[in-house]
Amino acid sequence: MMVGFVSNLVIPAVILLIILVAYLKGVPVFDVFVEGAKEGAKTSFNILPVMVGIIMAVSVLNASGLTDILTGLIAKPLSLIGIPPEIIPVLIIRPFSGSASLGMFSELIKKHGADSYTGRVLSTIMGSSETVLYTLAVYFGAANVKNTRHAVAASLISSYLGMLTAIYICKIL
Amino acid sequence: MLNVIWIIMIFAGVATSLLTGRTKEVSEAILESCVSSVELVITMLGAMCLWTGIMEVARKGGLVDSLARLLKRIFKYLFPGIPDEHPANGAIAMSISADLLGLGNAATPLGIMAMKELSNVNHNSPVASNAMVMFGVLNAACIQIIPATVLTIRQQAGSLNATSVMPCIWIASFVSAVSGVILAKVMEKRVYI
Repeated sequence: MMVGFVSNLVIPAVILLIILVAYLKGVPVFDVFVEGAKEGAKTSFNILPVMVGIIMAVSVLNASGLTDILTGLIAKPLSLIGIPPEIIPVLIIRPFSGSASLGMFSELIKKHGADSYTGRVLSTIMGSSETVLYTLAVYFGAANVKNTRHAVAASLISSYLGMLTAIYICKIL
Repeated sequence: MLNVIWIIMIFAGVATSLLTGRTKEVSEAILESCVSSVELVITMLGAMCLWTGIMEVARKGGLVDSLARLLKRIFKYLFPGIPDEHPANGAIAMSISADLLGLGNAATPLGIMAMKELSNVNHNSPVASNAMVMFGVLNAACIQIIPATVLTIRQQAGSLNATSVMPCIWIASFVSAVSGVILAKVMEKRVYI
């Protein structure tokens, strides 16, 4: 309950604090806000083409059944190093799609129970990882970067190291 | 790099659909994806305006500078080559703070702004700078104090102790962040891709 209260308060409190401090310093807060918000609108429209490209490619992968095939192929070998087969679809889709992985997570946690090992591992994975490829594509796309160098490799490896940690730490804690 | 990933994803998907006979589904998914990307951008549009507006107020009020000064030492190591007074420092500080507080919708707009500022430092080159890669990698670790979305879903799924996973989440994101920083620092010295 306490956590819920605090997390509900974060956004209003941050906004209030920022506006209050600026107002006390004599900043015309509303005018400045509107100026800044215009920039946000421009950036959003610039991102749309990037979004269309990325989301299209991800949905081609999902609809073709390739994601399911890959999951089936690596489930056996991965279970040998202690990775439960039921979480593998989430592991694969997590870096690509936030909505897809969140959907899988909600379904699996209801099926296995939130306080089961599977439920706790999935919670930890969802809470400690990001939709890496999507985030990188949007960020670098917005900055007009064509060559992202080692960004994708380093992010994916560190993301999976985090997920592996989640799998093992939930066995101990 | 994105060029290669993009074509691999589409090629692999289309080729698989021929084998699995799911060409109809793929064709529908392509058209559907255009709709959902517009939905996503429209949904994000409001949040984007809100947070870039609030960010501008925070900048004019001096809060961004104070935050940047607070994090200066860490930034000098993580993002070398950014001039002291450059707005990129403040933008990164705001973006990482939003991540930590779990502001969700706010994190993406602020992250985009920070990346654009970093790109300015890099003379808007089409090749990412070390600092830009580091910023991207840090975002992958999703460091947050209160993982609100996950906790809500756990509660809805009937968890008796929804917050029990918080230490696990902190440890896993810490491992991911630290390994990300090390990997980025090691890999920036070589030309892998």
